[in-house]
Amino acid sequence: MDNIYYPRQAKLKNIKEETPTIKTYQFKLDKKLKFKAGQFMQLTVPGVGEAPFTPSSAPGAVMEMDITIMKAGRVTDRLHEKVKKGDTLALRGPFGKGYPMGKFEGKEVLVVGGGVGLAPLRSLIYALFDKIEKVKKVHICYGAKSPLDQCFKDEYKKWENKKRVSVNLTIDKPHPDWKGNVGLVTCLLEKNSLSKMNVDIPNSYVVTCGPEVMLKFVTFKLLDVGFKPEQIYLSMNRRMSCGVGKCARCNIGPYYLCKDGPDMCYADIKDYPNVFG
Amino acid sequence: MNIYFLSESKLKDLMNLLFGYGRVFASKEAEVASNRNSESRIFIRELNKESLTDYRIPGFRAFDNFKSFVLPARSKIADYPSESWADIKETKKKRVLVGLKACDLASFAILDKVFLDDADFVDPFYKKRRESLILVSSDCTYSSDSCFCNLMGYSPYLDKGFDINLSEINGGYLIESGSDLGNKILEELSLPDAKENQILSRDKKRKKVIEKLQKGNSEFKKAFSRPDVLVSGTFDSDAGWDLGSTCVSCSACTNVCPVCYCFTLFDREGKKKEQYERYMVWDSCQFKGFSQMAGGMNPRFSHMDQFKNRYYHKFFRFYERYNIYKCTGCGRCIDNCLGDIDMREVLSGVYGSLKVK
Repeated sequence: MDNIYYPRQAKLKNIKEETPTIKTYQFKLDKKLKFKAGQFMQLTVPGVGEAPFTPSSAPGAVMEMDITIMKAGRVTDRLHEKVKKGDTLALRGPFGKGYPMGKFEGKEVLVVGGGVGLAPLRSLIYALFDKIEKVKKVHICYGAKSPLDQCFKDEYKKWENKKRVSVNLTIDKPHPDWKGNVGLVTCLLEKNSLSKMNVDIPNSYVVTCGPEVMLKFVTFKLLDVGFKPEQIYLSMNRRMSCGVGKCARCNIGPYYLCKDGPDMCYADIKDYPNVFG
Repeated sequence: MNIYFLSESKLKDLMNLLFGYGRVFASKEAEVASNRNSESRIFIRELNKESLTDYRIPGFRAFDNFKSFVLPARSKIADYPSESWADIKETKKKRVLVGLKACDLASFAILDKVFLDDADFVDPFYKKRRESLILVSSDCTYSSDSCFCNLMGYSPYLDKGFDINLSEINGGYLIESGSDLGNKILEELSLPDAKENQILSRDKKRKKVIEKLQKGNSEFKKAFSRPDVLVSGTFDSDAGWDLGSTCVSCSACTNVCPVCYCFTLFDREGKKKEQYERYMVWDSCQFKGFSQMAGGMNPRFSHMDQFKNRYYHKFFRFYERYNIYKCTGCGRCIDNCLGDIDMREVLSGVYGSLKVK
């Protein structure tokens, strides 16, 4: 029998700095690991502890995996401050259900990210690109604090040049180096913005990831402009420990994000307490 | 299933036989401060041949619970990176638990749902510990004011889930087996069959305990008819939950609860260089840090959110997932609450507030 709590070793091939507080860690695995877009890993910093992250690289059966991480707590502080290229960390997973890719076929997909929330969405974006002929359109909407806080900056051009894909960016406050949209990510979801992007609301799904407060206002904005709760998928945030539906802390209503999520359809969770904290 | 008679003097023979299987842990009337009433003097202790002389199986549940035999307060679950398994020394031999009551047996069935029956992820450590147990249960001969097993659909005795069950009657016990191992043990004892009047006397005793429980809990019956529907009716309001205001978030209730299993994992450096250890430790949803995330966001920020979570988990979330309530009605949380909170009164308060609406 397998020990579900044992982390497998993973070598850190490279560390790429995305922003002053966000880094992408590129892992080389000792054997092939199969994961779906949206499933997450428990990353162990040896002797310090575990924290859950959704990979930011393309899903599939992989020997390498990117995980993009913001410095925010005990484990991630250690990652940012002490861990170097060539170090050996450990991984457990994948866990969770992943995005409902089947539902997106024949539909438009709005990918709405905020800050480091673009990380798991990047994995989804690659998965969508992989079967781009099966989806109608992919609209990527991304908000960051400033141009300096944008993740995966060097990839936007590449994404935009794809057929059926649009990239829409915004930053929170005016900045001398920025000529594009200014405002929170919800400003990209106003009725007129959506019609500029030619979004066919009844035939779309939205997948969104970001801080809890952003998820809240993105959801309310989407409902406001005519989306139904069934069309909205949220990458929810909860504290996790076991990753396998046992330690009982990552719940929303009867669902455990580690087993039933972490991406939840808003229709399924909207009536439970403290959905957005 | 055959029922036999075990005279009081023969209890020793049974216990001696059990010693042959492994260490024996039994609920036992312990010598504790004299201001404790008889119900709170019973503790789980390891028995050995010397301490056996005056041993009697108590007629009431232990003050502490048996969950630590399957989920220790702290247990090592990995030595990484070198070893994928942590050693569980205590399961190399069988462990015999004596004096479990129906509520204790029911608690194992509830914990099994999470740690054994979840086909996606079986907890290998729980499995090993669980399989190492021999369960020798006994009927309750009396109940306390905090008992409410009848409200949760249980009774002061069970007819399955044990290896051996004992029912106290005049002059000894009626004894029956619930497993192959139980059959084997009873065969070795070669006991006389129980007489009809002895069985009648057992049934009479059982009935008496049930009647007392029903009488004591009659006022709470309505609130416990569908506790899942009841608590899920208060997702958007704290009305009716006022009794929670004396909760001091001490976690006594979750620690003494035989089915509160929430835990956390923590890692530390091992004894050798570049070796690390991972532990599973009990946690409690009554602590603010239980669901606090990096960055400070906490979906259960308020004291009341934490207080209500225990009820939501027991009566709503667990029921939704496993179709069984995560409570056996043992009443330990009531006995141990620093804030004098009685779960039955809390649910009745909620019931009252919803009815008024």
